[in-house]
Amino acid sequence: MMRALDRSLTSGVLIGIGVAAFLDETVFHQLLHWHHFYDRSTSAAGLVSDGFFHAGGWLCVVVGLFLFADLQRRGDTLVRRVWAGGFLGWGSFQVYDGLIQHKIFGLHQIRYHVNLLPYDLVWNLSGAAGILVGVLLLLRGRISATASARQRPER
Amino acid sequence: MPDSGLGSALTAALALLLLLGASAYVGGVARLQRRGDRWPLRHTMAAAAGFGCLAMTLVPPLATGMTFPMHAVRHLLLAMAAPLALALSAPITLALRTLARRPRRILLQLLHGRWTRAVTTAPVVLTLDAGGMFAFYLTPLYSAAHQHPGLAAALSVHMFLAGCLLSWYLAGRDPMPRPVSTRTRLLVLFLAAGSHDLLAKLMYARGLPEHAGSSEHLQVGAQIMFYGGDVVDWVLAAAVLASWYARTGRRLHRRGQLHRLTG
Repeated sequence: MMRALDRSLTSGVLIGIGVAAFLDETVFHQLLHWHHFYDRSTSAAGLVSDGFFHAGGWLCVVVGLFLFADLQRRGDTLVRRVWAGGFLGWGSFQVYDGLIQHKIFGLHQIRYHVNLLPYDLVWNLSGAAGILVGVLLLLRGRISATASARQRPER
Repeated sequence: MPDSGLGSALTAALALLLLLGASAYVGGVARLQRRGDRWPLRHTMAAAAGFGCLAMTLVPPLATGMTFPMHAVRHLLLAMAAPLALALSAPITLALRTLARRPRRILLQLLHGRWTRAVTTAPVVLTLDAGGMFAFYLTPLYSAAHQHPGLAAALSVHMFLAGCLLSWYLAGRDPMPRPVSTRTRLLVLFLAAGSHDLLAKLMYARGLPEHAGSSEHLQVGAQIMFYGGDVVDWVLAAAVLASWYARTGRRLHRRGQLHRLTG
């Protein structure tokens, strides 16, 4: 069985990945219509990656939220580790989508008929910043998390 | 589908089967209640939703107006929504609790039989569900089915049964021949949902199935399958995890480890 420390992190990572996938789908596909359901240049590998990442993305949210509910009812939630996981998950998904799916698989671009460079930079750097914040929270959280886990039985 | 004698005879036969199934369920619940046993209302509601979805596929406009978007809606109801609702209605548990001794023993033998054990393993479940759909939509099988009502009915039954197998394996409220871990269920759901999404995108990208109508119709149909399939898969995921959550909750409760109990 996973320790409470790891379960908080896992729950955060899953929710983070899911939030990134959800924002991508609603904001860029449905609201702004910058992204397209399908781009003529998409490779077969791109379609496979897209299909499974789309399914994996929302599955992550559902699993992450159930894990979080389980942590809450046990009184085991380590808030900072959940946030750390959330940033790590969101940032990694953003970078994977921006570098591998958009660039290598040519799934679709962020926007069409514009100079892509600033969009790509903002997209990938924001993802990288997310990963960095996640790592920092994780490092800071390690010390206080062990302390609060030790205090837990008294509550 | 051409309106032929065979076609309408088959539809009538399927409608009769549906009616028999629904009345057997209602009869079972009535028998339990006469006996003073409880049967959760959510199971009965799920059964009503499942039989309702099936009934919608047998009447116009879904049964007759076969443009591709209509076909996509019909497919979602028949192969995804109805099987999930029926799996959540626990009909096998109901049958085991209400049947007479002899048919009950036959049902139990079937459930523990070699075939049931072989069919309820992850690779078989996935192959029957995803494999059948890929073969149907990406090959000329689709247009062949529209020429031959017998083939169309056989394929519809296959899609429904494969959908049932997947739904029961993942989220069925009936006991399984052998227990499946939540991890395995989630993995199977991920692979099945990923293949659903991939298939819808392939249909959109390649303009498949062939001879199924204008490219606009194909694109609308593929998107209905993509987003509609997502909704059903979300409910499936929630159903898988809800039973894990309830099971874990009961264990925590027994050990007095629930936060609100200890806090």
